[in-house]
Amino acid sequence: MNIIEVQNLTYSYPAAKEPVLKNLSLEIEKGDFLAIVGNNGCGKSTLCKTLNGLIPHFITGDFEGKVTVDGLDTRENDVGTLACRAGYVYQDFENQIVRPTVLDDASYACMNYAMEDYRERGQEALSLCGLEGREDDYIWQLSGGQTHLLALAGAVSLRPEILILDEPIAQLDPSHADRIYEVLRKLNEEYGKTIIVIEHHTEYIADYCRHVVLMKDGQVRWKLPAREALSRVDELRDCNIFPPQVTAAARSLQGKGVRLPDGPLPTTVEEGRKYFDGLVWDGACPACAQAKGDEQGGSQSASPSAVEFRDVSMAFRSVKGEDRVVFDGLNLKVERGEKIALIGSNGAGKSTLMKLMVGLLKPQAGEVLLDGESIRRKKTESLSRKISLVFQNPEEMFIKDSIEADIAFAMQARGVENWKERTEQLLEQFRLTELRDRDGRLLSGGQMRRASLAIGIALNPGILLLDEPTANLDMATRREIMEALEAMKEVTETVMIATHDMQLVCEWAKRIVVLYQGRVVADGDRDEIFGREEVARLVGIRPPEIFTMGRALDERAYCYTVDEFTAAFRR
Amino acid sequence: MERKAKKKLSENILDKFTIDFLRSQVLKNAYGNDDTMIAKLDPRILIVWYLFLGLVPWFVSDIYFLLGCFLLVVATTMLARVAGLVLFLFGIGVFSQTGYLFIVTLLFGGDASAIVPLLTLTLKVACCSLASITVFSGLDPDRLSNGLMWFGCPERLSFSISYAYRILPMLMEEFQNILLSFRLRGNPPASQTFWGKVKYLAYQVKTIMHAFYPLMLNTAKRSRTTVEALEIKGYRLAATDKRVKKMRLASLKVTWDDLMFLAVSFLWISLSILASTIF
Repeated sequence: MNIIEVQNLTYSYPAAKEPVLKNLSLEIEKGDFLAIVGNNGCGKSTLCKTLNGLIPHFITGDFEGKVTVDGLDTRENDVGTLACRAGYVYQDFENQIVRPTVLDDASYACMNYAMEDYRERGQEALSLCGLEGREDDYIWQLSGGQTHLLALAGAVSLRPEILILDEPIAQLDPSHADRIYEVLRKLNEEYGKTIIVIEHHTEYIADYCRHVVLMKDGQVRWKLPAREALSRVDELRDCNIFPPQVTAAARSLQGKGVRLPDGPLPTTVEEGRKYFDGLVWDGACPACAQAKGDEQGGSQSASPSAVEFRDVSMAFRSVKGEDRVVFDGLNLKVERGEKIALIGSNGAGKSTLMKLMVGLLKPQAGEVLLDGESIRRKKTESLSRKISLVFQNPEEMFIKDSIEADIAFAMQARGVENWKERTEQLLEQFRLTELRDRDGRLLSGGQMRRASLAIGIALNPGILLLDEPTANLDMATRREIMEALEAMKEVTETVMIATHDMQLVCEWAKRIVVLYQGRVVADGDRDEIFGREEVARLVGIRPPEIFTMGRALDERAYCYTVDEFTAAFRR
Repeated sequence: MERKAKKKLSENILDKFTIDFLRSQVLKNAYGNDDTMIAKLDPRILIVWYLFLGLVPWFVSDIYFLLGCFLLVVATTMLARVAGLVLFLFGIGVFSQTGYLFIVTLLFGGDASAIVPLLTLTLKVACCSLASITVFSGLDPDRLSNGLMWFGCPERLSFSISYAYRILPMLMEEFQNILLSFRLRGNPPASQTFWGKVKYLAYQVKTIMHAFYPLMLNTAKRSRTTVEALEIKGYRLAATDKRVKKMRLASLKVTWDDLMFLAVSFLWISLSILASTIF
């Protein structure tokens, strides 16, 4: 039985010339766990908003065609009726929470729809989402993952048959992401809810989803069972979606003429184990040797470290009770010319560490040294030629009304002589010349990132710190950011990136620092970090899937990228 | 030892007066005291109590009565565990209202006899301010808005109050981050000399003003989702639904504690009136 039927839907936003959805038709079965994939701007979110009636009731525009949800025509029923059938969790979920305390927010919709048992419904939704015991907490006491669960609980409390989630795990570390998906699986399997996720983490699709819809240019290309869908590696790449690494590796080996079983490609490590059975690891292959050779290049000069933390302690005042200790006696050295990835779960102190380095925060005890000098008595402003920080949220970097002015701001403030030419050059370098007069906030996700990078390196800092530079980006945009990083190599010697993106870590970083509860629990190259399983387990980080795949086939194989994998395994 | 303590104190004051400190104080004030006796009282009772102590002292000039009221609100302010910053602002406020008058009087050859009329004025101001602080800072904003709704204030007002408190931490964080952006990229004047310090201060004020533009735009961007979410959650529908209002207000209950609080307040005020008739 179909719970959702979309027939010949064409929709354009008010005042837009082009329709976002073009003659789109789609059927979704009751009880399905469905992923919608597609490149940025292909109309995924718009489609989902037609399912809960926000379009056309709240957001008007040209609407043609018919959408039926749980037997109701969306044009003939109001948002309230539809909200009880299809719950929606936004990508920027924290803005969806409107009440100060947890239980209050979870039961708010039920109260508004005058359901007498609103408290019980809220309570029930909270326990379904694993938030029991947090009922009376204020929402700002929750972590990012818990806040997402609360947004989900707010939707679940109305007991809808359908739940729609827009990029549920974009900002979360793997262990929080797993938790969200486990909750979704429970809702799907035990409570028979139909789950629809917009998702570009194909590893999660492979593990949890049953069907995949690929959208392109406002249309549904196809709807297929997950494994078959993810096997279409080339089509996914065309739409800027990373296929699971295991699948990509199988496809690449096929292309090389390696004899592999017929039938669908593997999408998970489990499937890969069977599929790749019989391949042997060749430890002497040139790719493996080269990867090893690269790591030896670290400079060991006698000059002072670029940054050094000496017994740094840092705590934040909390509203109630004890202060929250982030660091207690942290020691860390960053040498000149290093490419460091800083990893750890949400709340491990990554952002705080970076803010300490640029002097935005002062440690309560200990010293932070920049080029051998303590920065305790220095003003942040005087450090900015040496070190620069690009925030996680690019919006917070935009303080002027055009990106051109934003890029020029720091140089003008310091009276850099050729600031005009330099701005021009940066706009050119990051392909922003056309957008120069636009407000940064109104750009697309990828453009915003590029602009924030341009702002960050305007003063030619020797050390660059990037906080989650690839979060929420599709493949094309991510590649752009990587290219930009490459292009900046001559100027910025030392780069540190805080990230959850393990593929980025493995492809780019020469040294990996793992933070856990305010301590450095591991520090070394990727073999040292990912080779030690106890570290991964303790901290909740996860190596890239291809690494796990490689080691599942041969304990000695340390393959971090698909290319390394396909070079090292042969029949 | 003493000097060390003094140095530490002055360092502390300079260190602490940052946006971060401001933020934590505001948050403390808004959410940090939901377990005090005042916070547990029924908001309607407290609003009535406030109407009396916030208004009556203005019309009475009897020093004993005012003193009685003053002591009462001091006690409730202490019970409400109001954040330090608010009390500090209160102190400045009272001084700027009346305290300076006393100094001016002395300067122009007045004597201590000026104290009595000024004290009356000071007590009136202090009494009303502290009563307001007790109610608005001691009471959980959500309960306060429920109380206001019971007295017939429109749903929109009470929602605004509790929503304001919900987004306050977010707003302050956003503001802080934008200021950090200014600090990272701006270039303030040197602040060694006196003139430099003045310029530095002017620069800071200017920065804070400039920071409002991005703050507003970022908030506007965020609120797009919020507005849609409110629609889904039936906010617009509920504003006109009488049943919803009844359900919300069902959580308000007058308990023995509330009555005790009223009784003690009443007794104390009566005693001070008695005192003023005797002396």
